[in-house]
Amino acid sequence: MAEPAAQTAFAEEALTHLDTLYRGALRLTHDPDQAQDLVQEAYLRALRYQHSYQAGTNMKAWLFAIMRNLFWDRFKGVRKEDVSLDDVGEFVLYDKLRDEGARPESDVLDKIAASEVVAAVDTLPPLHREVVLLVDVEGFSYKDAAETLGVPIGTVMSRLHRARQQLQKSLYDYAVESGIVRPSGMRQVPQQ
Amino acid sequence: MRCEECSDKLDRFVDRELSDTEALQVQLHLEGCPECMDHYDFESHLKRLVKHSCECDKAPEAFREKLRQILS
Repeated sequence: MAEPAAQTAFAEEALTHLDTLYRGALRLTHDPDQAQDLVQEAYLRALRYQHSYQAGTNMKAWLFAIMRNLFWDRFKGVRKEDVSLDDVGEFVLYDKLRDEGARPESDVLDKIAASEVVAAVDTLPPLHREVVLLVDVEGFSYKDAAETLGVPIGTVMSRLHRARQQLQKSLYDYAVESGIVRPSGMRQVPQQ
Repeated sequence: MRCEECSDKLDRFVDRELSDTEALQVQLHLEGCPECMDHYDFESHLKRLVKHSCECDKAPEAFREKLRQILS
């Protein structure tokens, strides 16, 4: 067991990454209570295994790896089937919107609510969702994301690519359903 | 650089994952190609939108305090 002062310092540093872990857990579990349970368990495990953490390395990535491994331990029964992600083809939202006469940024992106973006992220399968969380939300490099997830960089890139395709498809579907764009041509933007 | 090659590298350019040389090549192409620059602006905007939307969630203060107690 570490000296009390060392343990306190370790805990304080670890807690600076709490928002990242909580956000990740919330996006993985979709439930604030489960997210808190998962994060608390991850911190207790981190404290127990703090000797395996190398000072000066990426503590955020190390903690995230502990948290997501706990998540997968709990849900490992669904891991295999969870990997699948419907093939949406090469869906490029930018091209799609341009083809339909919309100005992609000002007509569409600026009008999509944050809650809809989060909902689109939440519909991604967890293995794809966690790559988006690490790279797009938390700013991990492909290398750090690969180490955190225990997969090759190529897997990070392919999951990220497919996740983004799916995400763009979801946002496009939302934009059509909500009347932000009309699939046949010009956009229609209801304003408050 | 052709537009196709630029498009292939756009994700990694947005994610700052290209080598310095490759990033410079893409940057030079973007500066001379308004269409690819528009596409780049869109992809960057989308990445920021995902980040800002998901970053709204913060750990509740009571939970932070509870953890601090448990870990100390």
